[in-house]
Amino acid sequence: MRILVVEDDPDLNRQLVSALSEAGYAVDKAMDGEEGYYLGETEPYDVVVLDIGLPKMDGISVLEQWRRADRNMHVIILTARDRWSDKVAGMDAGADDYVAKPFHMEELLARIRAQVRRATGHARAEIECGPLRLDTKTARVTVDGQPVKLTSHEYRLLAYLLHHAGRVVSRTELVEHLYDQDFDRDSNTIEVFVGRLRKKIPAHLIKTVRGLGYRLSPETDEA
Amino acid sequence: MKLNSLAFRLFRTAAVWAVLVLPLAGLAIDWVHSRDTYQSFDARLSQLLTLNIAFSTDRGGPEPGIPRNVGEPLFELAHSGWYWQITPIDNSPGKRLVSTSLASESLPLPSKLGLTPDRYNIIWNETRGPVGEPLRIAETIYNSGDDENPHFYSFLVAGNLEFAETRVRDFRVPLVFSLALAGLGLVLSTFLQVRYGLQPLRTVERRLSAIRSGEAEMLEGKLPAEIEPLQTELNALIQSNQDIIERARTQVGNLAHALKTPLAVITNEIGDDASPAARKVAEQAQVMRDQVSYYLDRARMVARVDVIGRVTEVCPVAEAIARALGRIHRDRALEIVVECPADVRFQGEKQDLEEMIGNLADNACKWANTRVLIKISVETRASERHSRRLLISVDDDGPGLTAEQRAQGIKRGRRLDESKPGSGLGHSIVVDLAQSYRGHFRLEEAQLGGLSARLDLPAA
Repeated sequence: MRILVVEDDPDLNRQLVSALSEAGYAVDKAMDGEEGYYLGETEPYDVVVLDIGLPKMDGISVLEQWRRADRNMHVIILTARDRWSDKVAGMDAGADDYVAKPFHMEELLARIRAQVRRATGHARAEIECGPLRLDTKTARVTVDGQPVKLTSHEYRLLAYLLHHAGRVVSRTELVEHLYDQDFDRDSNTIEVFVGRLRKKIPAHLIKTVRGLGYRLSPETDEA
Repeated sequence: MKLNSLAFRLFRTAAVWAVLVLPLAGLAIDWVHSRDTYQSFDARLSQLLTLNIAFSTDRGGPEPGIPRNVGEPLFELAHSGWYWQITPIDNSPGKRLVSTSLASESLPLPSKLGLTPDRYNIIWNETRGPVGEPLRIAETIYNSGDDENPHFYSFLVAGNLEFAETRVRDFRVPLVFSLALAGLGLVLSTFLQVRYGLQPLRTVERRLSAIRSGEAEMLEGKLPAEIEPLQTELNALIQSNQDIIERARTQVGNLAHALKTPLAVITNEIGDDASPAARKVAEQAQVMRDQVSYYLDRARMVARVDVIGRVTEVCPVAEAIARALGRIHRDRALEIVVECPADVRFQGEKQDLEEMIGNLADNACKWANTRVLIKISVETRASERHSRRLLISVDDDGPGLTAEQRAQGIKRGRRLDESKPGSGLGHSIVVDLAQSYRGHFRLEEAQLGGLSARLDLPAA
């Protein structure tokens, strides 16, 4: 899952990027409205954390322009101006949720998880696929109840496939959603990580759909 | 009419004018009229005296005779009050002659009383006539001889003063009547002037009242030239008031932004650090966070109190909040219903109404299972200062609260369940805001099964 953080305060920006990276997300950052708008316009993010009070272009304008351009990623606005008029303006501009400053990082992470679930059509924090189970709150993966140790890249890949279980996910989509913009996007790395994952979870769960990509599915007959 | 009013001042002026000045004017007019009446009476006597001398000495010889008709028939009528008398003095020859009207009577000579003659050598006196009538007497001493052999005669003419006195008296009745009428007219015209003249002030009063009740924002309309500067100044004052509030709000918002981001940084920097120092910083950061929220809300409220009244359409506010919350909770299949009759208006600031409905609806959404109902109505109560009351209830079908919990729920900073996000200030902000509008807030059991938060506020 790839997240964009648009926050002008360098300390808060750093904290957000760090906390989200630790939580297993690929994170890009922008320090002002214009940069944030550009990234949101050109990169496929799953969730954007957008501050309202930004230099160069305010958050509401950024959001409105994204929505006008049919950019439909989920957006959580961060606002120090926590009056209801500000919240309503933010929601009317197309936000999906708001978090008022100052906030606890856990609260923001919970809201982000909720948005990711919403984006992929999952109602609960736990996502299952056959014996495979992901607790998005704790980022724990189990197979038949037994915990599986994953590196952060493996976790991101598996989490993305789990969120989109049953659907064919192309390599390009995986690259776009799993790595931040600074990452060396060699599509072979995906195959390397898929290979590693198949050794840690039942290998038949991740199917290769030739010429199209991968599909996570519990059915064995397609293996 | 109040004692301390412009109308009373104008009335008082008119009354003082009527009570003091009009009687003085009456006295002055009466004095002038009396003087003219008596002067013309004296002039008539003086004229008769001259004719009397002329017509009694025109036959030649030193001794005056009975004067020929001097043009006054009343000299012929007995005791008419009009008399003439010629009296030889200082042993001058001849006898005393009198008018027929005086018959056998005689009149005392003023010259014998030591009275001083005027510049026409006439001595004036007043006395009573043969029948007690008031007389005005004009006498002159006439020398019908020459300097070496003088023959002095007293020529006297008397007129009945009742003629003059009656004229003077007769004049006073219409004078008093017409002055009284003038006084009454003055008071009446002042009353009309006050009503007509002060009409624009009453218009100003009505328009100011409309501003206070929120029906108007400025003192509008064409007013007389004298009040126009007042209108301009009042509008400038209202505008300046609104500007100050707006600036204060902006500053409060800026302060919020300036403080809340560093607070977020501090809170998150500590993260999971369990050292005593980190916990203390975390605890104090939480205190700062609550205090910032509390005092920012207070600042917003203080900035609003006593602001010239505003009116807010309720339905758009409730619907916007329901829309925003619906978007936030859309994956919970939560039904947020707004029941709001058209044209319901809150007498107060839009932002405050948003805060109250927003906080209550937000709480209701956090706890509701499937349904939140925001119901708005208007009630008229004669007993309260603002008789039209806006009633807002926000109900949910969540677990609800016990009576004891409901009592606790409206206390500041009291969070009944830490598992739901929020600062725990929501209800107390609503309590403070409702109180600042002299409104009421209470928590009850909802018909839907959960909590019902009810607001009673002034309606416009």
